[in-house]
Amino acid sequence: MYQTIGEEILVAGSYKEHRFHPFKFLWRNKTYKIDQITLVSDIKDGGVKKRWYSVLVGREVYRILFNRETETWTLEELWVE
Amino acid sequence: MGRINWNNLILHIDINSYFATLLQQENPHLRNKPLGVIKDFGRTCIIASSKEAKKVGIKTGANAREAKLQAPNLILLPAQFDRYLDATKRLRKLFLDLSPDVYIYSLDEAFINLNHCQKYLYQNPLEFAQNLQNQVKQELGEWVTCNIGIAPNYLLAKLASNMAKTEGIMEINKENLDGILASAKFGDVCGIGFRLEEKLRLIGVENPYQIRFYSQADLEKTFGPFWSRELLKIAYGEETNHFQLLEKPATQMKSAGRSITGYHLYDKEEEIRAIIYNLISETIAKVRKMKLAGREVGIFLTGEGKSWYDHITVKRPINHESEMFELLYYKLYKSWHRNFKIIRFAVRISLLEPMGQNSLLPNWQRREKLHQALDKVNEKYGLFTARSGALLNQPIIRPEVTGFLGDRIYQLGE
Repeated sequence: MYQTIGEEILVAGSYKEHRFHPFKFLWRNKTYKIDQITLVSDIKDGGVKKRWYSVLVGREVYRILFNRETETWTLEELWVE
Repeated sequence: MGRINWNNLILHIDINSYFATLLQQENPHLRNKPLGVIKDFGRTCIIASSKEAKKVGIKTGANAREAKLQAPNLILLPAQFDRYLDATKRLRKLFLDLSPDVYIYSLDEAFINLNHCQKYLYQNPLEFAQNLQNQVKQELGEWVTCNIGIAPNYLLAKLASNMAKTEGIMEINKENLDGILASAKFGDVCGIGFRLEEKLRLIGVENPYQIRFYSQADLEKTFGPFWSRELLKIAYGEETNHFQLLEKPATQMKSAGRSITGYHLYDKEEEIRAIIYNLISETIAKVRKMKLAGREVGIFLTGEGKSWYDHITVKRPINHESEMFELLYYKLYKSWHRNFKIIRFAVRISLLEPMGQNSLLPNWQRREKLHQALDKVNEKYGLFTARSGALLNQPIIRPEVTGFLGDRIYQLGE
């Protein structure tokens, strides 16, 4: 099941074909290198646009969220067996 | 009979086990495992199951507890409605790049009409369908598969994709039409539900082709004037009334509503009142966003094996939640003597028309100004950010998208 985290993270990435592709994030002073983005979804929270990225770090699955208004990143959930 | 234009070309795309597949796409730990999707934690109804769950007999609508007994390794996860809707929007964009005539039939199904561009672009429909399957994977991920039906009309295209095996492509043409109609199950034919199927079996009809052995007069005795004609169309693979209506899409929604199945049976009046108000708030927010107002409101409640429905039609269109609440709660619900606890609530507003200036009465004008202010706040910060006191200290039921996408005009802006 997914464990709720809800903590701010820092993300680094690059733009490719007009879209941002995260490739690593910093959470609790540790850097996590993203191996694969498995699903991207644009949602609206009221008038605030947000983008979900589901990413794989090794075998771990993380759900990270980008608030496009405040330009902040949050680690929302991670998969635990 | 025989009114099929074989020069037409329609594709029906059906994403396999959509809700579960997308959860598996985002999380490789869930792949190749039986997965049941529930609305939320604590819910007991499986609203979608993965291909693997279906293989062990766990179907949509199954009870989660019973399904767990049947398949102890079944994983249950809550749905991600916002993300499903976004995936559908992405698919719609992809399909619109291929043809201007796209109809999103539900969250996981779409028709692509190639009649106006096939001659120039898509000479080989089978190749086109294979490319489309690959493009769906590129858009949503390698785990996302779809069935595609190719046929000269909507009815047959959907029948073809329903009959195709998982991740398959099936084409219905002049040569194989009769054979397919003779081997199709009624469950694969859009429009023939369980009751109609039972009635057909009673007169000895086991597949759509066999309906041809009956005259319209014979069929009318059992099925009435509408269904006798529709059944004969199905027997010959002709477009049914339901699909003919797709060719004339509505420019605005005719009705809007919201329903919810509660976590338990509700008996306390303050809880029932708050739920009804909550559903009305969401319905009115939808209607106002589309700049519409309606003249008919209805309420439907079920529980303990019983149900109650009532509606009221008014002269002047309404689009204020207090007006709708006044009609549904005070005029209809309060005048009914409730004789059961409620598990399912549904409210609806219909006879929708473009919103004009409704009234010059100062009371109405004041309410309208208040609503306009609420609309602005809620549009920016989310529905229910500013809400009626009737919803204070109550758990808020938030908007969600339904699989059949009954409010597609609102959700997709079609």
